[in-house]
Formats: sequence, structure tokens, C-alpha cells
Amino acid sequence: MKHPFKTLSVTLLSVGFLAFASSCSKDDPEPEVPQEEIGSATLTFTEVEWHGDHAHDLEDPEVVEVTFDEDGLPPVGAHLHLDAGKTYRLTLSATDFVGREGAEQEFLEESDIHQIFFLGAPEGVLDYQYADPDNKRVGVTGYLHVLKPSDSFVFNVILRHLNNGVKANISADDWNNPNYAQFSGETDLDLKVEVHVVDGDHDHDDHDH
Amino acid sequence: MQIRTILTFILLGLFLTTGYTQTPACTFTIRGRVVDSDTQLPLSGVTLTVSPGTQQLLSDGHGYFRFSQLCGGVRYAITATSVGFDSLVTEVTLANDETLTLALHHGRILLHDVNVVGHQQAVVTTNAVRSVASEQVAQVQGKTLADIFSTLPGVSMLQTGTTIAKPVINGMHSNRILILNNGIRQEGQQWGSEHAPEIDPFVAKDFKLIKGAEGVRYGADAIGGVIITSPALLPVDPHLSGELNTIYQANGRGAVVSGMLQSGVSALPGLAWRVQGTAKRSGNVRTADYYLGNTGLAEYNASAALRYSHTQSVFDAYYSRFYTSLGIFTGAHVGTIDDIQARVDAGRPFETYPFTYAINVPRQRVIHDLGKLKWHRDYARGGSSDIQYGIQRNHRQEYDIRRGGRDALPMLDMVLTTQTLDANYQTPLYDHWRTQVGTNLTLQVNNNVPGTLNTPLIPNYDSFTGGLFAIQRLIRERYEWELGIRYDFKTFDAAGFDKYQNLYGGQRNFHNVSGSFGGVWHAGAAWQLRSNVGLAWRAPSANELYSNGLHHGAALYEIGDTELASEHGYKWVVSPSYGSGPVTIDLDLYTQYIQHYIYAQPSPGEFLQTIRGTFPVFRYKQTDATFFGADFSLQYKLLDGLNYNLNASIIRARDITNDVYLPYIPSDRFDHRLRWQLPVENKITSNTYITFAHQWVLEQKRYEPGTDYAPPPPAYHTFSLYAGSQLALGDHPLEAGISVTNLFNELYKEYMNRFRYYSHGLGREISVRLSYSF
Repeated sequence: MKHPFKTLSVTLLSVGFLAFASSCSKDDPEPEVPQEEIGSATLTFTEVEWHGDHAHDLEDPEVVEVTFDEDGLPPVGAHLHLDAGKTYRLTLSATDFVGREGAEQEFLEESDIHQIFFLGAPEGVLDYQYADPDNKRVGVTGYLHVLKPSDSFVFNVILRHLNNGVKANISADDWNNPNYAQFSGETDLDLKVEVHVVDGDHDHDDHDH
Repeated sequence: MQIRTILTFILLGLFLTTGYTQTPACTFTIRGRVVDSDTQLPLSGVTLTVSPGTQQLLSDGHGYFRFSQLCGGVRYAITATSVGFDSLVTEVTLANDETLTLALHHGRILLHDVNVVGHQQAVVTTNAVRSVASEQVAQVQGKTLADIFSTLPGVSMLQTGTTIAKPVINGMHSNRILILNNGIRQEGQQWGSEHAPEIDPFVAKDFKLIKGAEGVRYGADAIGGVIITSPALLPVDPHLSGELNTIYQANGRGAVVSGMLQSGVSALPGLAWRVQGTAKRSGNVRTADYYLGNTGLAEYNASAALRYSHTQSVFDAYYSRFYTSLGIFTGAHVGTIDDIQARVDAGRPFETYPFTYAINVPRQRVIHDLGKLKWHRDYARGGSSDIQYGIQRNHRQEYDIRRGGRDALPMLDMVLTTQTLDANYQTPLYDHWRTQVGTNLTLQVNNNVPGTLNTPLIPNYDSFTGGLFAIQRLIRERYEWELGIRYDFKTFDAAGFDKYQNLYGGQRNFHNVSGSFGGVWHAGAAWQLRSNVGLAWRAPSANELYSNGLHHGAALYEIGDTELASEHGYKWVVSPSYGSGPVTIDLDLYTQYIQHYIYAQPSPGEFLQTIRGTFPVFRYKQTDATFFGADFSLQYKLLDGLNYNLNASIIRARDITNDVYLPYIPSDRFDHRLRWQLPVENKITSNTYITFAHQWVLEQKRYEPGTDYAPPPPAYHTFSLYAGSQLALGDHPLEAGISVTNLFNELYKEYMNRFRYYSHGLGREISVRLSYSF
């Protein structure tokens, strides 16, 4: 009667040891290229002729541009000048994790969960109108009206990646809502650059800073 | 002389009564079941006698027994005796067939080394072993393992919202406690505070807790304590039996169904099987005021067990699968510190959420498979040996809100395979001395499943741990001593790519000697004193060594340290207990010194600039820490049927190197309850009770201001009401119960809930349960 148990126990132990011996080392790791981060972002301010509710392109517009690297930083000492009284078409362009252009299209395609806020300007200096195609109201394209001169301020562009359903609570008036954090979600882009609004006649090159 | 006269009269009286009533038809039956009063597990082989009469029998494998051909009107005395238990005499006068549950109490005489319950092995230690009473298990049935254990003093929960809960023993959790799931050390990715133990509580019937540092017996990680869950014994008799549990939870509109079938096999005596399964589904839960978005849960578990016992050997095979898919509260999905601060200031979510069963991102999906083979052999005079092999595969996938429509692609996808081989031998008792020797081997492989398009949080690794231990015990009638020593070796080999696609990793080796010394003194019938000093250790976990990434939900960047040394915990527990008449008191006093205590500390002035914003940097560092505390439990029988129970836990923890408080230490808490057993005992209903409970959780005032986004929340009170009854449904019992927790729908926040920044705790919860066994 003892034999079956010996056999059984030996089998049991063998199975155990076999399993123990096999599959005992890790796989070689494979590098993952993180695709959650945006590679770089550029803000372009193009001067336009404003007609109350629409804009006309100028032949030789004034263009101000700033590019932020993968850490979200502008070039060292970057300092933008905008002219009071002018209207600019403000566009955001972005590259993806390997530097391909056109990443901003993703924000338009998923317009129901993306929203850009433009913060940091002193009261009454700026006004903004969303002007994305098909009234998507994301902020990839819009018109920035520079109302009056001001001291330097840190212009902060925040691109929110919103939780489902949150966008319905956001209106066009929220373009500079400092409490944007209450619109639940994550921040895809947090860009900061120093901006200085000067009198319309003030020439860039002459500006002393 | 007088006594003898009285006795004669009584006996004569009994005889006369018997004689008088013997005329009616003797057709009545007493059925019943014998259970262990502590664990409520059935006791087989208990000797039962009925007097007057000559009937004597043994309870079967389920603890059932049956006396027939009994006469009406006779006062019968049923005596149950079993080794290791106090004899119990129950008197009944029959007017009908009667059903009895006989709960035997463990004898006060020392009998630790007798395996009373079949081959269920007792937990042998000089530390106090606390069990969760089966009634309290029933009251929280359908909830998590942590909920069950948090009914014990000294145990609280570390929660991530409402769907994830981990047990905390005396302020320690995750890799600092050990969970033995059916004898196998549970290995998931337990380093993560949002990684709950992958165990279906319905598999287990027995929930035990040791608060001592039982590193010698169980190996690494048992610094704060050990949680032991074990299923009921398999039946020996070949009749099909089973259990069906159904629970409805009003908060979350959840339903739980759990069933079990088991039987011995008549063709092959000694062979028995069991299959078991649980399904659980619930939707968004509510605080007192509002729904919490995306807090649905789906859990499907199954297990199968096979046991063959023959004379001195028992073979066990066991397999279980745990599957969970759970939502993580959407309102806690944050990007930056500004987000968190805005929520902390608001104190509650900005959005309102409807009720839904849908589970969206962020969510977790975990499959945990466990297989076990075990050979147990008994030798004469209590000697025994065990060889046990376990294999676990833990597949964890975490989904987050991602860019570019990649929500369906997991951010984290890891497979952890753990194999354990344990062998131990316990000598027979030689002149009060007994020795136990054993070895534990653990082989662990962690692989990240490629294709997440996200840098893995921890690297691939393989790790081998080997341990050898010896425990010497001296067992006397009034006292016991125990001395243990252990040596462990661990090698840990990691390889991974960081976010810049640079290879990192390497090999680390850890050696460790641990020990324990303890004693038990049975000072008298009422008093008992236990004391144990234990040194336990653990090697740093993969995330502590290598993590280098943004911790979503906490908006901080965590950086590991590859040079971390092992953590050593010295814990001294003194447990006096008193039990006499209506009073039972259990006290655990502990002091613990942890050398090289590892925790993530804010790195002063260090921030990480990314295109998504700036994040504070936390680095894993080591320090020395002390923990002091007391857990108190009082049970007082006020009147017949009225019982009062008080549990209190107090803990003080400090980082003594930097002279600061440690974060996430449970605040002091008091939990007391009044239980009234209704005097309704008849053929249909028995064990009908109502319990009113009150929990008072104090504010955690011992914290470092400025190291947390928000100060600890204020103290809160919650009240609960529980009621239950056992109904006889034909020959079988149907247990019905109702639990109402947070009775007054209090809006509160718990310090140990990591989502307290974003939302309140659960509102009123009503759950109704039915449990039928046959």
C-alpha cells in the first residue's frame, strides 16, 4: 500500500522542481519610446487686420514666434513684444515625441477633451477669441487682441486634456480663467514665456531690455 | 451527607420524570453541528453522548451529528467532548425535532501541539494570534480582505479611493507585512500603495493575524505582521454539500454571488474535492452627498481544491484565479500640483457624476493565478513534515487617460511569476522539547509586457531568495519558550530601459540573519501573558531601487536609489490577556525599531521641469524609525444576551534620524459595539442578534506640516447597525443578515485614504445578505 504514495510524492516533487527550474529568468527588456509627451511646441503670433468679427491677412505681417523644447522651456532670455492696439492670429503648433510636425491636429481631432487657456496677462491687456475650424473652440488657432500697453508679464499657455464630459462646463469666456484647474483632467502643455506689450509705434529692434 | 441526599433526590426525580414521560412515542431527532467557537470551523470527530440513554457518536467531517429515536418531554443532556476543547453540556427538553449548534471553546490547558481539526494545522507561535470572529466576517462579506481584517484592533486600511484597500498592521503595509494565502505567501506587485491583495475572501473561512515580527518562521517581509487566510477543511464524508451566498449592496447597487460545492469521493475514501466561485459587480458609489465617478468594480474568482489523505499523509492540490477590473475615481485624475491644490481648496469634486456601472479609464485590471501542491506527513507524538510548492502569476494592467486615443492601451503591463518551495520538519515532542527546521526558496521573475508606449515604472528582474530556519521550543504545562534563528540570502537582478532608452539595472545581493525569542506564561485559569521579540527584514523592492517617473494621481516625481540597504525591523510585542466570567481583555503592547526604514521623502528644492509643468521630486531614502503602540480589546457580557465590545488602537511613529513624524500613520481609533442576542430560539430561527456599533477616528495631529498637500482631516464618527438570524430551511440553515454602515450618512474624510484630497469617504451603505448551506 505504500508504493502509490511514494510514487505520488516523487511525482509531486518532480513536477515542483521542474516548474521551479524552468521560466526562472527575466526577458530582455525592450525600450519603450514614451509617446505621452509632446516633443516641442511653438506659439506663433501673426499680425492681422481685424474687422470686428473677422480678420484679413496682411501682406507683410509682423510675426512673433517662440518655440518651447521638450522640457517646455523657451530659449534662454526669451522675451516677446506685442504691440498694443493690434490683433494677432495666435496659433499653436507642436511636434510629437520623435519631432514630427502636426501634433496639434490631435487636439483638434479630440476637440471634446482638449482646451487651451491663456493666462498671466494683467487685467484688460488682452482679449482672446477661439477661431478653430468648425467652431471646435480648442485654442489651436485664435485671435489675440492686444488692448493696451503693460509691463512685462509671464504669458502662460495651458493645454488641458480634460476628463470626459468636462468640456461642456467650459465657455468661450473661460479663455483666461485662472481657476482652469477645476476643469478636471491633466495638463498636456504648460508653456511660460515673458511678454511685454508696447505702444503700437514702438519698434522691436529699438526696444531696450 | 447532605449533598449526597440532594443528589439522590435529583437523580430520583430525573428517573421519575424519565419514567413518566417514556410512554409517548420516541420519534424525535436532534440534529446539530459542532464548531470551534473561535473560528466557527466545523469540528469533526467530536464525541457526543446523549443522556439519559446510551447513544454515543462522533461528529462527521462537517461537524454534523444526529441523534434519533428520542422521546418528547424528556430533558436530555448532550455532552460534546474533544481533545483540546472544554467539554460542553447542552440540555434540551424535546417537544419537536431540535437543531443545535454546539460551539466548543478551546481548553485553557495547554494543548498547542494537538491538531484537533483534522489536518488543519494550528498556527504555533508565542505571539498572540487574533482571529476575526465569523459573525464579523459575515457583516463585511462582499467587501475586501482589508475590510475583514480592519475589524481587529491594530489593523486599519490604506485606501486609494473606494475601490482599492490594503490592510495596515500597526502602521505597516505593503512589503512590510506578509499575507499567507492558503499557506502560500501572496506575491502580487504589493509594493504599490494602490495595489490591493488579490484574494477572494470567500475562499477563506479562517482569518488570522499575528502582529509580531514573525520573520524567522515565514521569511522576509514579515516586519509588521502576518495575515493568514485559510479555507475550511475539505470534507471526509462522501455526500455533496455546499454553500450559496448572495449579497446586495445598495451603495453602488452591487451584487455578489458566491457558491461552493464539495464532497468526499465514496469510491476512494480519503479523496475529497471542492469547487468555489465568486462574482461581484457594482457601479459608482456615493459619499453622503454625491456620487464618485468611475468607482465601479467587476470581480470574478474561482478556485478548486483536491485533497487525498491516507493514514499519515495528506496530499493537497489547489488552484485559484482572481480577476478584477476596477475603476479609479475620475476626480482624482490630476496633472499638476495646481490641480491638486484646487481640489484640496474645494474639498470635494468639481464635477457631478451620475450613477453608472461603466468602468472607464483610469482603471486597473489584474489577474492572479495561484497553484499549490502540498504533501503533509504526520509522525508519532506530534512530529510532522511538509513540502509545499506554489506558483503564482500576477498580471497587472493599469490604464490611464492617454493622448491620441491610446486609452485602451495599458500604461503599465507587468507579469510577475513567483514560485515558492517550502519544506519543514517538526520533531516529535521529546521531553518537553520540540524543534522545527525548514527552508523556503522563492524564485521571482518580473517582466514588463512590451508595447505600452510608456516607460515601465519598474524594470524586468529576476530574484531568488533562499532561507533556512530552526526554531527550538520548550513546552511546559504553565509556560512555553521559543527561540528561533534564520538565515536568508537574496539575489536581485534587474534590467530595464529608462525614458531616454538608456539601459539600467544590475545585480544586488542581500544576506540577512534574523532571530526571535518569545514565551507564553499561563498564569492561571484567567491570565495569560505572551511576549515575543522578533527581528525581521526585507530587501528594498524594485520600485524603491529603480523607480524614476511621474507618479500619476500624486503629481510627484519619484526617484529610487539603487544603493538602498535592507530594512531591519525589531519588534517587541507583549500581550497580556485576561478571560474570566463575563470579561475578556486582550492587550497588545508593542515597540518597534526599524533600521534603514525606506520611504519617499520630498527632496528639498528639487523640481522636475517638463512640458506638462513642474513637479516636486521625491527620493527614496533610508532612515531609522520607531513605532510604539497599544491595541486593546475588551469583551464584557453585560446581561444575558447583551454583550459589549471595545477595540482601541493607538500608534506613535517617528523618523528618529531626522526627528520628524512619518507620513501615513493611522490616527488613534476607537470602535465599540453593543450586541443583543434576541431571546428568539425556536425551530425556525436561532442566533438572532442586533449589533449597534460606533467608530471614532481621531485627527492625526502627528504629521509634518508642509510635506503634504493638505493637513490630515478632522476627527470623525460613524455609526453602524448589524442584524442577523439563522433560519432553518428544511434541514439546512439559511443565514440572513443586514448591515448598515455609516448609518447617519456622515460626510467625512479618512487620513489613510490617498484620495482624501479629492473626495469624502463612503456614505451610508446598506447591504443585505443570504447565506444557505447544505
